[in-house]
Amino acid sequence: MLPSPSPIPSQSASKTVFSKDMEQQSATVKWWRRSVEWWNALTCLSMFKPEIGDIIVGRVVEVAQKRWKLEINFNQDAVLMLSSMNLPDGIQRRRTAVDELNMRNVFEENDVICAEVRNFQNDGSLQLQARSQKYGKLEKGQLLTVPPYLVKRQKQHFHHLVQYGVDLILGCNGFIWVGEHCDARDTVAEEQLNNTEEQNTKSTRVSENVPLETRRNICRVANAVRVLSTLGFSLTLEVILEAFNLSSTLNLGIDEMLVSEFHVLVAEKEAERRSSLTKKKR
Amino acid sequence: MVGLSVGEKHFIQGGINQNLRSDGRKRDTYRPIFVETGVIPQANGSARIRMGATEVIASVKAELGRPSALQPDKGKVAIFVDCSPVAEPTFEGRGGEDLSTELSVALQRCLLGGKSGAGAGIDLSSLVVAEGKICWDLYIDGLVVSSDGNLLDALGAAIKAALSNTGIPRVHVTAAASGDEQPEVDISDEEFLQFDTSEIPVIVTLTKVGRHYIVDATSEEESQMSSAISVSINRKGHICGLTKRGGAGIDPSVISDMISVAQYVSEQLINKLDSEISAAEADEDES
Repeated sequence: MLPSPSPIPSQSASKTVFSKDMEQQSATVKWWRRSVEWWNALTCLSMFKPEIGDIIVGRVVEVAQKRWKLEINFNQDAVLMLSSMNLPDGIQRRRTAVDELNMRNVFEENDVICAEVRNFQNDGSLQLQARSQKYGKLEKGQLLTVPPYLVKRQKQHFHHLVQYGVDLILGCNGFIWVGEHCDARDTVAEEQLNNTEEQNTKSTRVSENVPLETRRNICRVANAVRVLSTLGFSLTLEVILEAFNLSSTLNLGIDEMLVSEFHVLVAEKEAERRSSLTKKKR
Repeated sequence: MVGLSVGEKHFIQGGINQNLRSDGRKRDTYRPIFVETGVIPQANGSARIRMGATEVIASVKAELGRPSALQPDKGKVAIFVDCSPVAEPTFEGRGGEDLSTELSVALQRCLLGGKSGAGAGIDLSSLVVAEGKICWDLYIDGLVVSSDGNLLDALGAAIKAALSNTGIPRVHVTAAASGDEQPEVDISDEEFLQFDTSEIPVIVTLTKVGRHYIVDATSEEESQMSSAISVSINRKGHICGLTKRGGAGIDPSVISDMISVAQYVSEQLINKLDSEISAAEADEDES
């Protein structure tokens, strides 16, 4: 079963980008092209290899009996049981038929959710849990897809960029969420406590416009992730912020980050950073 | 095409309202366009165009044929588009047929004009060899390799690039013939005529989302559209063809406004495309 072909067009795109300046290639760019060719070979061999405790961002494809099925860039859909979500009153009780009927008020089809891997089921698919405040529905932002091997397992996958008001979630399955900062994501509490004003709160909360400055930051962070994904660099907060700051200091328009010249600059900056790291180690 | 959650849809629509789309572009900005010509050596002309994640290839093959009796002084051009399953899993088998037919018809309307040949972007009289007897038939094929929205614009640009890359062999009519006989021709292997592409129009698609129109929509943005208008405009700013898609009706004043926006955008697009095409041809000559 081959992984989805989505990584491949972006990699071949970066090859087209650099075919024009063959003579002027610096050593760093030549190094980068060789590593991209290596990545191309690796793409077919690498797939998302989940482990227990991984942070996952997924999209709901089905609301089934007492569970939600999520698409997570894996060969099988993951399962989020109703019992793995917090109830509004916080009491650990058995879920009733009323809870089951209200499932669609919590998560609908096509909703984007972040959760944690709880364990593996018998058929190899994942079982997720979203019992903490920081898990739940993601709104007011954009979802990006990158090859899963670019997201290494780290201590922190939730990044709240305070000075920009942006939430950045690096899902281990290659789904990256960039959106406006949300303090509490426990949607079950909000939905079911305001039963009478349910429709109003849901629609007003979502349709409140993201302020322009926050939107600019969201788009700049998202473009930084896109550039790094095309170049094939591992996505860590440090590298993403470096690309973000590079584009700000150069006063580049946000859409100008996707031009080939900026890709070269980011690659060179990253090469510098890595060589200074190896020098420090010595 | 995966679905979008309510929150994501609002984010996209809010961005379009605030003139800041998901990748930072304004409403009237195209994605970076990369052009490569001469990608298919067996064809008379070919080009590959990439706009963001949308990638299309166009090829032109020229064969000698008979002009139609109704238009003995014009050559013939046929345009076909194929949507490869590589682009989308739904294009497998006959799934892509509807989209392929829609794109082929829209391209024919935009580039070839009406049945009588009036208003064509491509000058068909330059394709004639011996009037009434021999003409060049051009078969233009488009292949959609990767689909992320705005296929029509990409195909139009690819066809323009492929035609500027096309070399038609020079033909000498060796023996004059009378009546219905076909004259003998000598097709030269060495001399080629470059096709004149300065009159070929570009296609600009304006997608209406909410109250605003955007240019070069990604497939996420296209899923939010109410309607879309594709206008083919040539260098002089004249409209060579017009197609409307989408279920919602549009007020005529809105259409006039969209056409003027398209005219404004097409100037920059034509200049950008011409410079990219000449750069690509220069690269091809070097390599």
